[in-house]
Amino acid sequence: MNIDTIKKEFPIFDNKIQNNDLVYLDSANSSQKPKVVIDKISEFYTKQFSNVGRSVHYLAVAATNLYENTRSSVQKYINAKDKNEIVFTKGATEALNLVANTLGQKYLEEGDEILLTELEHHSNYVPWHYLRKSKNIKINFAEINEDGEVPIENIEKKITLKTKVIAINHLSNVTGAILPIKEITELAHSKGIIVVVDGCQGGPHLKLDMQDLDCDFYAISCHKMYGPTGLGILYGKKKWLEELPPYQGGGGMIKEVKKDRITYGDLPNKYEAGTMATAQVIAFDQSIKFLESIGIENIIKHEKELIQYGQEILRKNNSVKLIGNPKNKGGVLSFTIQGVHPHDIATILDEDGIAIRAGHHCCQILHDKLKISASARASIGVYNIKSDFDQLNESINKCKKIFDLR
Amino acid sequence: MNLKELYQEIILEHGKNPRNLRKTENFNKDAKGNNPLCGDIVHVYLKLNEQKKVEDISFEGSGCAISMASASIMTDLIKGKSDNEAKEIIEDFLGMIKENPELKSNILKEDDKTKLMCLSGVKQYPMRVKCATLSWHTLISAMENDGKEVSTES
Repeated sequence: MNIDTIKKEFPIFDNKIQNNDLVYLDSANSSQKPKVVIDKISEFYTKQFSNVGRSVHYLAVAATNLYENTRSSVQKYINAKDKNEIVFTKGATEALNLVANTLGQKYLEEGDEILLTELEHHSNYVPWHYLRKSKNIKINFAEINEDGEVPIENIEKKITLKTKVIAINHLSNVTGAILPIKEITELAHSKGIIVVVDGCQGGPHLKLDMQDLDCDFYAISCHKMYGPTGLGILYGKKKWLEELPPYQGGGGMIKEVKKDRITYGDLPNKYEAGTMATAQVIAFDQSIKFLESIGIENIIKHEKELIQYGQEILRKNNSVKLIGNPKNKGGVLSFTIQGVHPHDIATILDEDGIAIRAGHHCCQILHDKLKISASARASIGVYNIKSDFDQLNESINKCKKIFDLR
Repeated sequence: MNLKELYQEIILEHGKNPRNLRKTENFNKDAKGNNPLCGDIVHVYLKLNEQKKVEDISFEGSGCAISMASASIMTDLIKGKSDNEAKEIIEDFLGMIKENPELKSNILKEDDKTKLMCLSGVKQYPMRVKCATLSWHTLISAMENDGKEVSTES
């Protein structure tokens, strides 16, 4: 599939948004969906729908096969060793909550330390914060440098004898910094520390190879990977998923239920209680196929060129200040304009059909550190083209004019 | 829809040079407000005298042009009013932002009403209504002095 014409695979771009062509620069928030994914949801509900894994009738078997087929596709796409290392969740948030909760139940003890970074999204901080209260766990933060990246030295500095878990994002949703997960994991494992990766932004923009990264857990957000909302994936090494207790109880996750005892199902059922987001899982297979048809290497190359182009253009625009300048960067360009609040920027851009995000992007720790309350963020996907950044720049100039900036 | 209606001269001017952006000395009522979705925060301080008249009102905080202008205009208009008059103005303003085509209260002078009506542009921008109303809800909380932090999301 040719990346230069990929935009036509996404029906949303056929519509006018308030009489404008849509310039969608909010993919770090959620990506748009290709037609194949939308069609698959419709097709499944129209022709194949049934609950999975329970009944023996024809549709149940067909739906179960489709559901498990996605698990195999994901396993292959992220190069996990075992199919049972793939757990479907309602989102990356639930995946991270699952890890924090179950490690808290069985593995962590009072006084243990969790190491995060100042770049973390609230989803990779709040679940660990609960353990502060319930288990008296201490949380430390590895600092960012002036380029908005977290070098491995800054992580090493904060490791103590009590550090049990390092929970870090793969790609920052604000500065775009790509963290050296493989090296961090090597360092962590040499000290017996578990590595949990928030891969929300890694999923759509980077090559995912679990055996190469060697991390213990990796959380994926499917709706940021051209897939449906309401679906996330937790990759976990088999030994951990086998050892840790279940997260939620309910139907489908048990082996045997008696009045005085309950035993739990095998992987991955143990972590998939209740009726899952069946249609979403089945449609996500199309997202994987879509990504494979372009090829992650091509996506990385295309997006790198785009981000470089965007950076060049915005750097030339005085009064725009880019946030972070990581050497290894992907996916997002965050910025501020002196004298114009990000929300005002977003409203003015919206008038021209340009969708960006304004706010703290669920990263208040980072914004506090940068001493700003909010920022504007343009984030890309496979469908963006260079002229999107030209239009962004033009509308930024309109903001400056309205706010009387030179 | 029209950006000019949202970003009128008076909004931009108040947004850039907010009045009463300070902390009242010897305030006897105050409240904090925040919008967790965007990180906007505001802290409103009030000094009510024995006759329950607003001797001074001020605010601290940061936010977009709309929220800063709204807080600025609000503090300008509330200063010198009795607490009952203040409540009537607040109710009138929030009613206008929500549904009424214009302001109804007779307490405000015509040019004060014109200033407030400049904020009516947010009606066309549902996501921005909270920017305009946060400081007003925070003022209610300060007057009731229940010490509860105001949030746009509860």
